[in-house]
Amino acid sequence: MDSINSLLSARGISKRYGPVVALRSADLTVRPGEVHALLGANGAGKSTLVKILSAVFSADSGSVSVHGEQATLRRPSDSVAAGIATVFQDPALIPDLSLSQNLRISSLEPADVLPWLERMNLGNIDFELQVSDVPLAVLRLLDLARALARDPQLLMLDEITAALTTDQVTYVFDLMSEWKEMGRSVLFISHRLGEVLEMCDRATILRNGENVAHLELEGVDEVELVTAMLGEEILKETATRADTGRDFSDQPIVLETRDLSLRDKVVGVSLALRKGEILGLTALEGQGQDELFQVMSGDYRPTSGEMFVDGERLNAWSPYDAIRRGVVLVPADRQQALLPQRSVRENLSIPLYNRPSQWFKLAKDEEERVDRAVKRLDIDVRAGRQAQRLSGGNQQKVTIGRWLASGFTTLLCFDPTRGIDIQTKAQIYDLLREIAAEGASVLLYTSELREISLVCDRALVMYAGRIVSEVDGPTATEAELLSAAHGLSEVPE
Amino acid sequence: MTAAAPQSLVASTVPWKRWVRRHGWTVGIWLILILLIGYYATLIPRFGGFQVASIVNNGTPLVFLAVAQGVIVIAGGIDLGVGGMLVLSSVSAARLMEGQSFEATIIIAIAILIAAAIINAGVGWIITVSNVPDIVITLGSLYVFQGLALSVLPNPGGGTSDGFRWIFTGSSTGIGTNPWPAALMIVIVVGAVSWWMARTRSGLSLYAAGSDRTAAYLSGIRAARVKIVSYAVGGALAALAGLANTAIAGRGNATTVGGNHTLNSVAAIVLGGVALTGGVGSLIAVVPAGLILFFLNPILTAMGVDPSGAQVFQGVLIVIVMAVTGILEWRRRRRS
Repeated sequence: MDSINSLLSARGISKRYGPVVALRSADLTVRPGEVHALLGANGAGKSTLVKILSAVFSADSGSVSVHGEQATLRRPSDSVAAGIATVFQDPALIPDLSLSQNLRISSLEPADVLPWLERMNLGNIDFELQVSDVPLAVLRLLDLARALARDPQLLMLDEITAALTTDQVTYVFDLMSEWKEMGRSVLFISHRLGEVLEMCDRATILRNGENVAHLELEGVDEVELVTAMLGEEILKETATRADTGRDFSDQPIVLETRDLSLRDKVVGVSLALRKGEILGLTALEGQGQDELFQVMSGDYRPTSGEMFVDGERLNAWSPYDAIRRGVVLVPADRQQALLPQRSVRENLSIPLYNRPSQWFKLAKDEEERVDRAVKRLDIDVRAGRQAQRLSGGNQQKVTIGRWLASGFTTLLCFDPTRGIDIQTKAQIYDLLREIAAEGASVLLYTSELREISLVCDRALVMYAGRIVSEVDGPTATEAELLSAAHGLSEVPE
Repeated sequence: MTAAAPQSLVASTVPWKRWVRRHGWTVGIWLILILLIGYYATLIPRFGGFQVASIVNNGTPLVFLAVAQGVIVIAGGIDLGVGGMLVLSSVSAARLMEGQSFEATIIIAIAILIAAAIINAGVGWIITVSNVPDIVITLGSLYVFQGLALSVLPNPGGGTSDGFRWIFTGSSTGIGTNPWPAALMIVIVVGAVSWWMARTRSGLSLYAAGSDRTAAYLSGIRAARVKIVSYAVGGALAALAGLANTAIAGRGNATTVGGNHTLNSVAAIVLGGVALTGGVGSLIAVVPAGLILFFLNPILTAMGVDPSGAQVFQGVLIVIVMAVTGILEWRRRRRS
């Protein structure tokens, strides 16, 4: 094609892992001075293509040229030398080293990244902090600053906005626009199509490891993008369902917290979850929502306050105690929840091994329960039996599915749709509604404000460790939620 | 909208807390060593330069061997072969140095260190190309080194020059009251290796590869090269421990069991706060840990404990220390 006019041109890239074909034959052309979107459902091959362009993996076939010259990409440093810098989905920082030591490994000094960090309101960060003590959102911004400091021709951002707060997303977008004005390019991957339409000029869409469309994004809407990503499959509209927002005040309370506190992270949280209800919770990053979920799931012991399950006090020393009372957690980090090297079946049936009485016998109905969960969740097990080989969306289904197999009364869901494609998202919304309709209760933390009105009956907003606002789910507006999440009491006009 | 950056990311208002967290273990283990020496001084009738020299000089081989193991474990490996390398280096030195001048023994020593680095780099290379776990390959190298040592010097013997003995023991007979040459040797060698690992890009990449292989790879670090470098440095340090052994004894003995030395080196790094999972630890803390492990024997003897009881005591000590630190670490993580 127009390789003269392109900054980066990849042709016929293919990659397979054993029997699984990740990329069949993918093409990608990025022009100088554009923000280019790489789109596709989970498992379409986006991350694989990014990793090949970053020389993390080598392609089985195909060629890559930068500025019309053939590039040999054997190891990550080759890619950097060719003018490509990548911010990966997981921060590439060493947990046991300090920030400044991490920079030194990449032949950088704090002074090199500081100008960029200042632009992201992180100018006063302490470089002697150890990486494992720094929150994920900040690590991603640091990774971005490190990539920018290499002054790349092409900046590749894989789901960078997934863990960021709204104001941090704004900083990133400003930097992307600036990069583009300098005549450099950005390859942007995001499941948030609103962001894609706002920021990107053109898009390459992958499906099952192949290109299905190249689009100029001018005048295109979300539905067109989704249709292209999903192909002939009918797009399931994820609009408000008729059964949200019912009045639950006549239903019994299944889970209640009274003045729950954890040091200064969670301050006097009292909430009540009724049978059949989905209670939403939203907050900016780091407002105590992580700790609240850890306390409620029995992982941390609260410093004060009490929890009640079905009216009886729950004094949990570990998640085991909470699980036995029917309070189960779907954590944000799927990798943490799964046994990556074990089979999907085993991952689904672990909670069944929970009770000592079951240790020496096989649950008679184990197979049946697992099969039911696989079927109900439409888990795609084609990619192999090991949980680590599943796509992110399917992994998330497994973490929910294990509780379906074992039974529960209250599901604590922490940002279950983070970094998941739109089709799987819709399936998870439906599943949560179904679970609630069957009489279980769900506490759903989400960083995507629009999920509140889509899925929740009622919603709480957390700020600085406290519940600052309670709203009706279906009628909640994003502006209302956002201002409450920033600790403001009035909705800005 | 400009919210202030979270307070927790700004320079800590109580820097000593972070300092304690980062260096507390190192300071603590040095304090324990000093306390033990003080206690030992009250146990025996006469305590002076001879006793100090005896502890430092005779503890040197274990200190070097522990530092060798520390470098490799920090980089994410573990080398069961270091004990065998110690024995092989010791008997090679004893055989080659017998009857030689001081200058010749120094040249032989340097040659042995270089050869050990190359041989152990080969062990690291085999691990990287075969993808077999370190513990399996180095179990093999332990046997190979031990067997080679026996063929180099079938019966205890050999010798070295007086000057060479002085370098490691401060005395041409290996017995004396001068701990300074050995202490200086430890300071220079451990200081240089620690500085390299904590300050330079190549040294930090050992921590990086041991801490998180994927993140290290994405940061442009070549894991295979790091592994080979760590094994080379570890091999040279293990050989240095062997040379110290020869200098102290004045001869070589291939019937000493290398495996015991290896286990002591692992115990020393664990006591010194190096995580067996890699990426964490300081070599500065490994030095006193090695000395303490060596030093427990004379203390227990002075206390009237018989040798079998002494072994039990050593084991109990390691378990208690590690259990206490495990609990402290758990409490710290709960609180933060």
